[in-house]
Amino acid sequence: MSSSRDDFGIAIRSALLKKGARQRFSLVFLLIIAVIIFLLDSRQFKLVKFTRTLINDGIYRLTNISTAPFKLLPSINTKIEAIFFAMNENKELKVKLEELKNKEFQVEFLKNQNDSLRRILESDVKIKGKSILAKVLLDKDSPFLKSIVINRGSKSGISKGMPVVDGNYLVGKIVEVNYLSSRVLLLNDLNSRIPITFGEDSIQAILSGKGESKPVLEYLPDLYEPYGNQTVFTSGKDGVFLPGIPVGKTEMDELNVKVKLFSDPNQLSFVTVQLIKMSKDF
Amino acid sequence: MAILYKNIRANIVNSLPLIILYYLSISEIDTHFSNMFEILSFNLQIIIIYYWMLKNSSVLGNGHIFFAGIINDVVMGLPLGISSISYLTVSFVASYIRQVTVNISLFTDWFTFLLAIFFSNLVYLVLILNFSDLKISYVDISYNAFFTFLFYPFIWAIFNIYKKIMVLRADD
Repeated sequence: MSSSRDDFGIAIRSALLKKGARQRFSLVFLLIIAVIIFLLDSRQFKLVKFTRTLINDGIYRLTNISTAPFKLLPSINTKIEAIFFAMNENKELKVKLEELKNKEFQVEFLKNQNDSLRRILESDVKIKGKSILAKVLLDKDSPFLKSIVINRGSKSGISKGMPVVDGNYLVGKIVEVNYLSSRVLLLNDLNSRIPITFGEDSIQAILSGKGESKPVLEYLPDLYEPYGNQTVFTSGKDGVFLPGIPVGKTEMDELNVKVKLFSDPNQLSFVTVQLIKMSKDF
Repeated sequence: MAILYKNIRANIVNSLPLIILYYLSISEIDTHFSNMFEILSFNLQIIIIYYWMLKNSSVLGNGHIFFAGIINDVVMGLPLGISSISYLTVSFVASYIRQVTVNISLFTDWFTFLLAIFFSNLVYLVLILNFSDLKISYVDISYNAFFTFLFYPFIWAIFNIYKKIMVLRADD
């Protein structure tokens, strides 16, 4: 009994402390370093935050370069397809369709949400600023986090919380800002919560990401009878997003009202960051 | 000249698992196939670390595993150090198993790999839940762990074939 306990102790000690030709550091030493880094980072120490910002910028650029050959493959495929499907004609039709869709959204939004929009417009929310185009550097599809990294940072005037759109459609908001890059939390991430409005009665709800492709609507009114195919817009109630940005269409699920996003989060190449500074005087 | 060429070739061949580990951490090439099959995702880094730490720890160094974890955290937007701790936990389990196991077969490797996945995910979850504001999906983590475990024999077979072309020195 005592001997087996000794063997166990020796094996554990050996695994933790042993070094070798390519093992210059013992496992226990590296574990301690990793824990210290983790604790410093989670406590948001200024020095660690600054160092992380520098590392982030460097590694994001490196990641972008290292995946460049793989990014070329789809573009070659697209070019081949374009020859067969008359690319120019297709583009023109897409532009026309986009214009029509935008007009349709505009009309629907104005018609259905006239009262709430007037309230929003008459409130003391003031919007200043412009928008900036950014390239998606990194969209590593993690099973745990749904986010992208863009090539604009605090140097371009980006700050935390700014909305990010793909064309006219909302895709997420800025959650991490470095000097030359930023991280965008996508709408379908588990941590994403956006106030929205939809339908003839201007129903207010929260769009919650669930880590799946379609986020769900939460905090709907008690007596609300859900039905699908309604356009969902941002309500602007949080003072972060502009009101009236199209987000997606409602879809009925067994238990939840899901939203099919207009912009596919997995297909983003360029996005626009709205450099808005909203001052709320409620 | 021939010796030099042989050495260079041996170095490249021996370093390939390490290069793959770094490349998986730094690049967008990942093993999450949500477009094809929503729940299918597995952690190839853990398999690489476990296999090579178990078979021949001179192929990967603990320092490299630590740095690969740090890079992975930066790319994934996770708190710095969490992947390093998770990977080093896998390395620790593999080192321990290497110390106490005499007969090595696919089934012993596969069974003990379950322990490595368990401890790695346990450490990951405990740290995220207690020291971070991040929300994580337990279902996604469970699927990831399950598929990582499921795919181990396939990767094991590939690495076993690859190991035959490597020129390895005796394990430390």
